[in-house]
Amino acid sequence: MGIVRIAFFWFIAVSVVYVLVSIYSRSVRREKLEKEWDTDPAREGVPASEREAFIEAGMAHYRSSLRRKLIALVYVIPAIIMAVIIYFVNFQ
Amino acid sequence: MWTRIKWGFRIALLLILFLFFYYVLPRHDIVQITNTYNRLTTVGANWIFYASPDVGTGESATQRDIRFIEAVDADGDVVVYRNEDTGWVWPPYFKYDSSNLQAEATAMKTSETTKRWAIVTKYGWRFPWLSTYSNAVNIRPATGPDERIIPWVNIVILTVLALIVFMLRRMWLQFRERSIDPAMAEVSETFDQVGGQAEMAGKRAKGWLSSWRKKP
Repeated sequence: MGIVRIAFFWFIAVSVVYVLVSIYSRSVRREKLEKEWDTDPAREGVPASEREAFIEAGMAHYRSSLRRKLIALVYVIPAIIMAVIIYFVNFQ
Repeated sequence: MWTRIKWGFRIALLLILFLFFYYVLPRHDIVQITNTYNRLTTVGANWIFYASPDVGTGESATQRDIRFIEAVDADGDVVVYRNEDTGWVWPPYFKYDSSNLQAEATAMKTSETTKRWAIVTKYGWRFPWLSTYSNAVNIRPATGPDERIIPWVNIVILTVLALIVFMLRRMWLQFRERSIDPAMAEVSETFDQVGGQAEMAGKRAKGWLSSWRKKP
């Protein structure tokens, strides 16, 4: 029963990490898109609505990207590390 | 004064971190194992240096049968290790083979006729006055007392932790730049307006007060 409780708290902790990392990753992507638009001299004087559309398109692309899906690795990597530690501590 | 407090605080924090890692990270001893046994041990105020009571070897919260490994190093100093399961939580060694480890240690015992050197991986501290022992995690034969050990595990763990701290810092800076700073700018703008009004009100109040004071 103890291990179920540990797994439960572990899952919550890792989920918090997952949320934080996805917020960070999204924020970095949005900033990159904003800078890409703002530093392009060809886009000077273009209305703000088009800038908004450009950023939204970029974010939609991000949502279906591999990079976003890779964040799920925060669930997988600790489990792998744990398996490796168990192997080296107990079966070597 | 303030900088002194700040630096004192930082140094204390670094010291705590150092001691924490010094306790938890694995270290190696090259020793000759002389004896292995188990002994009913009372765990009292020094409980923090022992495994939690529910990991298997514990009989009760205060007294349990603990396996010990006695050894002597190249300088002739004696070492005593405890050999306890760590359980699933802390420290995260996930060790549950202490019976096997005890058998390995017994098999690697040194004797008058055949001197055997063993590398013991352990964590924790031996304080005789607190009756605490470092916990043996792994034992393997050594080529001799002078075998060179590179602490790969510690190098990897500390590197990964440094990367995590670096990422946390970047995440925090990103959050501040994108979320806190714009909000603060808005707040300070309204604050300036309010402050301006307050200043005006204060000036008026002062003027009113001084009108009551006696002229010198």
